[in-house]
Amino acid sequence: MEHGGNLVNRTIMMPASVDEAVEALAATPGAVPVAGATDLMEAVNGGRLRPAALIGLGRITELRGWRYEDGGTAVLGAGLTHARMDRPDFAALIPALADAARTAGPPQVRNVGTLGGNIATGAPAGDTLPVLAALEATATLARPGTVREVPISHLLTGLDPLRPGELLTWVRVPLLHAPQVFLKSTGRSGPSRAAASVALVLDPARRGVRCAVGAVAPVPLRPLEAESWVAGCIDWDARGEDGAVLIDPAALAAFGEYVAAACVPEGAAGGEGAGPAGARLRRTVAVLARRALGRALK
Amino acid sequence: MTSATELPAAAPADDETGSTGLGSSPLRTDALPKALGIYPYAADLWAEGLLWGAVLRSPHPHARIVSVDTSAALAVPGVHAVVTAADLPGGSDGGADGATPGPVVADRPVLASGVVRHHGEPVAAVAADHPDTARLAAAAILVEYEVLEPVTDPEAAFHAPPLHPDGNLLRHLPLRTGDPDAVGEIVVEGLYQVGRQDPAPIGAEAGLAVPRPDGGVELHLSSTDPHGDRDRTAACLGLDPDRVRLVVTGVPGATADREDLSFQVTLALLALRTGRPVKMTLTRAESFQAHTTRHPALLRYRHHADADGRLVKVEAQILLDGGAYADVSAEALAAAVAFSVGPYTCPNVFVDAWAVRTNNPPAGRMRGEGALQTCFAYESQLDQLAKQLGVDPLEIRRRNAMSTGDPLPTGQAVTCPAPVTALLDALADSPLPALPLDDPEADWLLPGGPGGAGDPAAVRRGIGYAVGMVHMLGAEGEDEVATATVRVSGDHATVICAAVDSGQGFATLARQIVQSVLGVSEVYIAPVDSDQSAAGPAARGRHTWVSGGAVERAALMVRHQMLQPIAADFGMSVELLTISDGKITSYDGVLGMPVSQALEGRELWATAQCRPHPTEPLDPETGQGDAFVSIAFCAMRAVVDVDIELGAVRVVDVTVAQDVGRALNPRQIENRIEGAVAQGVGLALLENLRTEHGIPLNASLTGYRLPTALDTPDIRIAALLEERDVVAPFGAKAVSAAPAVVAPAAVAAAVRAATGLPVGRLPILPEDATLA
Repeated sequence: MEHGGNLVNRTIMMPASVDEAVEALAATPGAVPVAGATDLMEAVNGGRLRPAALIGLGRITELRGWRYEDGGTAVLGAGLTHARMDRPDFAALIPALADAARTAGPPQVRNVGTLGGNIATGAPAGDTLPVLAALEATATLARPGTVREVPISHLLTGLDPLRPGELLTWVRVPLLHAPQVFLKSTGRSGPSRAAASVALVLDPARRGVRCAVGAVAPVPLRPLEAESWVAGCIDWDARGEDGAVLIDPAALAAFGEYVAAACVPEGAAGGEGAGPAGARLRRTVAVLARRALGRALK
Repeated sequence: MTSATELPAAAPADDETGSTGLGSSPLRTDALPKALGIYPYAADLWAEGLLWGAVLRSPHPHARIVSVDTSAALAVPGVHAVVTAADLPGGSDGGADGATPGPVVADRPVLASGVVRHHGEPVAAVAADHPDTARLAAAAILVEYEVLEPVTDPEAAFHAPPLHPDGNLLRHLPLRTGDPDAVGEIVVEGLYQVGRQDPAPIGAEAGLAVPRPDGGVELHLSSTDPHGDRDRTAACLGLDPDRVRLVVTGVPGATADREDLSFQVTLALLALRTGRPVKMTLTRAESFQAHTTRHPALLRYRHHADADGRLVKVEAQILLDGGAYADVSAEALAAAVAFSVGPYTCPNVFVDAWAVRTNNPPAGRMRGEGALQTCFAYESQLDQLAKQLGVDPLEIRRRNAMSTGDPLPTGQAVTCPAPVTALLDALADSPLPALPLDDPEADWLLPGGPGGAGDPAAVRRGIGYAVGMVHMLGAEGEDEVATATVRVSGDHATVICAAVDSGQGFATLARQIVQSVLGVSEVYIAPVDSDQSAAGPAARGRHTWVSGGAVERAALMVRHQMLQPIAADFGMSVELLTISDGKITSYDGVLGMPVSQALEGRELWATAQCRPHPTEPLDPETGQGDAFVSIAFCAMRAVVDVDIELGAVRVVDVTVAQDVGRALNPRQIENRIEGAVAQGVGLALLENLRTEHGIPLNASLTGYRLPTALDTPDIRIAALLEERDVVAPFGAKAVSAAPAVVAPAAVAAAVRAATGLPVGRLPILPEDATLA
């Protein structure tokens, strides 16, 4: 058939362990690792990608779960599916990541699409990416004999990209034991790409608020000044009658505007933030950031 | 999506008790094969030794072709033929030499020669032994373009350099009736914009061409107008029409025309050139480039009303963007002008409407073309009027509602039933959906998507109403006719009719008609090909009327043949016998016999035609004339939730009251209404093929957002009003177009009610529904 034919007569390997996969990747130049293939096959079918060989990661069971480290870090396998991350046990651990996974496309995509794939594809609207940026997660990249740890944001921005022959194996996420929120605005009720998304996590131990905005730029954006400003507006010790953390409602709204102005600058005419589309995006980000912080503090 | 309507308790399969006649809801003939995945679509076709076709398309919306060099493509191993405009007989302009009758203006070349007028216009085509080879070879064709400035603003098209020898104005249709100096006490004005909706058929274009030993060609594709397509294809190829046979395969959804002429002719040409079967399937991106879209429109309206809100005068200017080629723009413009006031009476109407050519994607037929755009505008105007007067939106519509016998602004009296007030009353009596506050347990889907963005505190609910109308059958003197043959042998009947079941359910309807008339249990609907007698295109609700009418007449003739000897035996006239439940019974119930016995050992057949009363063109100076055979009406209430901070809209519920004449298959009608409402909701909120300098920006199913099940509201039927249209076969009216025409206006009205904002464009953007 027309489309399936594109992969006929090509090498497909199915390693059973990380070591085997890394060896195979090193031994086969031009090979592409593939997990859920939800992005890859679309590119193959569209004629934009003709991989010389494929290394299927589906049999590497160790990458499909997670473990704990040092009591304060979760080490997530790159092969965790979105459907798995949406389950209650995982949601109790990293709620914002679970929320992002839940909205990442229709069930068919979530059942096979993986965390590692979301990072490796690095699409602007990748739903888990702003959460990982807000959590300041790091990625483990493996090559035969060597392993290195890179912040996800460096990986995505290209500051420290995936090198040839490297395989993304694990994602380290700090466990914060505090409220986290992921909000995604789409143009419709059905599964859809984010028009804009906001991930916001509280870090009470360090009295910090960390926020990342997705889908408005090629990579998630961190409004660092807005984060530190709003952290100073929060009375971390006092609690309201309903147990909510105290913050002036005006500060909530100002935080939203601050985040929006930082992430969707008005800029020059013809740029991203210009015109009615830019104004619409700024407004959406402002509302999402305000609502995200309000819900996190509730 | 759920339908809250109580369906008659019909079993999913045909009811064995015989409730398969008209008015019952037997299972659609294609439902099971489609659900089981065994329904054959054109993309599934195969022939021994077939080649694959691929098309090279223009990357520019407007350019002069300086040269085309196919040598590199021909040198690719596996390539069997490369064709360009030079390979077509009779010059480049498709059908220009053998200009075909009908509504299609022959201005569109099969393959561009000299100039390309829209992005994605076919320039050359390749046949090769592998689809990848064909695509690579197509990409290897060297075309030198001299890029020209595209005309993309329809308002600028009037004075822009002509894109065709006959200029950019496709049609100007004025309408003048009544006193131009009349004024009302209240005047409301508005400027309205409708975007570019794409039919986006889920099954992309596909087909197979097989050369015939006699020098002709056989085309297997999902045409919705087999005879028209055959004639046009033959004309473009310089063949006699009987040398081209068009076999209709399963149609994977059609709310517009399918498989444009260029696709068919190119496919046939490649097969003739190579002497081998050639198959071509378009990718999704190509499909968006190949088929026509809905006409984007700009409408300026001024309504004058008296102090009670009764319309005194309507003035309008309507501009349709026809894109690069004429297609059916002239016909769409006639509908826009004739229905410019809507289902209301107004003594003084002054309209000027234009359809122009631009270098935008060509616009063509799509459910309610012309009528939909004006419905949004006039219903928005009535909402404005109601607001100014402080009158309920239903009441303002009742005060102006048209009744049977009232004239259209074109001077034509609406002689078919026009139950506009009854439709509005049915909506008023229909219960509203519960507010989530009343039912906190219910899973409340907030506007803004399932990503948690919505906030109940920012959500406002709005309720809006709209009524609209659309004509059935071809207008302005088009010859409408269909032919059908019914054959009965033993206890089963065969229907041979070239009416394509494009999803509208004609095959099921034909089966019901024959079962009703003849009392036979088995009815076989023959596959359609162009060697049968013509039945015309599947559009404008034609087939329910003309083809259904032809099937009924043929069946009645067979019935007469069947009953005559029995009547003679019984010593009574044929008219005194009835057929029901598979039995022939005399009027007094004394005599009777099963149909199967009456037919034993006999084969009966008859062919009949149905041709409705003729229409006339609209006067080019005044827009007056009896241009339409009949009109269908629909009223709708939409309930929306709007997050006024995000500007996100979710349609909660759409309740429909529709004028159906007679419900021939209630379940099928409800399905058609649901589909049309979903399409209308899509246009209102999601669907817009955006272009920049004539180049589509979102020509993919990721970028072009079709409504999913979650975007589609609960759709409830408040009433299917059965006031029979005496001139229509069975008294029935077509059902699919009217709800598609009205739904966008109803959603806009609801958003207006929720936000108090004017809402002057479709689709509604977040900034149109945001309160600062």
